[in-house]
Amino acid sequence: MTDPVRDPVLAAIRRRRVTRAMTDEPVARADVETILEAARWAPTAGNRHLQRFVATTHPGTMRVVRMVSPGMIARPPAAIVICVDRELAAQYGFRPDVPGPWIDVGTATATILLAAQAVGLGAGPVSSFSRAAVAVALDLPDGWSPELIVGLGHPAPVQPAPMSAGRRVTWRDLTRWVPEG
Amino acid sequence: MTAPWVLDEDDALELLAYLVTAARTQVDEAAEYGPMRLLTAAHRLAEAMGPRSSPETAAALGGPLAAMPTLAVPRDRTEYVEQLDAACRSLAAHLKARYGS
Ligand SMILES: Cc1cc2nc3c(=O)[nH]c(=O)nc-3n(C[C@H](O)[C@H](O)[C@H](O)COP(=O)(O)O)c2cc1C
Repeated sequence: MTDPVRDPVLAAIRRRRVTRAMTDEPVARADVETILEAARWAPTAGNRHLQRFVATTHPGTMRVVRMVSPGMIARPPAAIVICVDRELAAQYGFRPDVPGPWIDVGTATATILLAAQAVGLGAGPVSSFSRAAVAVALDLPDGWSPELIVGLGHPAPVQPAPMSAGRRVTWRDLTRWVPEG
Repeated sequence: MTAPWVLDEDDALELLAYLVTAARTQVDEAAEYGPMRLLTAAHRLAEAMGPRSSPETAAALGGPLAAMPTLAVPRDRTEYVEQLDAACRSLAAHLKARYGS
């Protein structure tokens, strides 16, 4: 196995943790653009790029987004909202229930979380929000469905304890070799 | 004498939006998120009320309620229920002292 301490990509993956407490220091738009550029390179099903990103560093908009997002614990000064363009997906012939576009939301999320770390920002994914309310708050075009919000900000010195800090899961717990052994 | 307001319009709106949108997200989420969301709402309400409430109410809000976890429901259900009961008892003691005699 490659040593995760010596390989910078593996080390970054190991170091990343969600940020649930952020300072109110503003986030530079240039940093958000660096993260968006990285997200563009996340793999997508059929190279279709059916996700759309909505970015904001606007304090009033962020305030409203947090008010309608019960899962948003931090008060992030910026966010990238990952949407699926459902109309485009339908035009490509994707049925509404096929998982491809949602898996793309996952690859974009993972890329954004790592890219945020690379520019020195903390990031926290949030899926617990009212899609209907966020669509209104962000003036989303028809057919854009907001699927995940990544809050971005400068990490506060003290973070809340992680969710259910129990026994640490290892890759072995999650993996089954075939054939066994 | 009318009691002083402990929430301003912005505090109240924020909490109201949280409650309404949590009602929606809870339809799709694991049942254990229910108590978590309610406790988060209670914590946010307590945080907003704290500075403007009476010393006795502020003390009650800082009791066992403040110690309740809001990020995840602990795996030990019995202990969690005991903690919730302790928060309920402590609140009831404050309510009784304030209104019950
Ligand atoms: C799809 C998805 C949705 C998530 N939604 C939320 C959320 O609404 N609120 C939250 O605080 N964390 C949310 N998280 C963060 C996870 O709780 C977090 O990744 C997990 O507890 C592990 O912590 P770590 O990333 O620091 O290792 C979400 C993560 C994913 C992948």
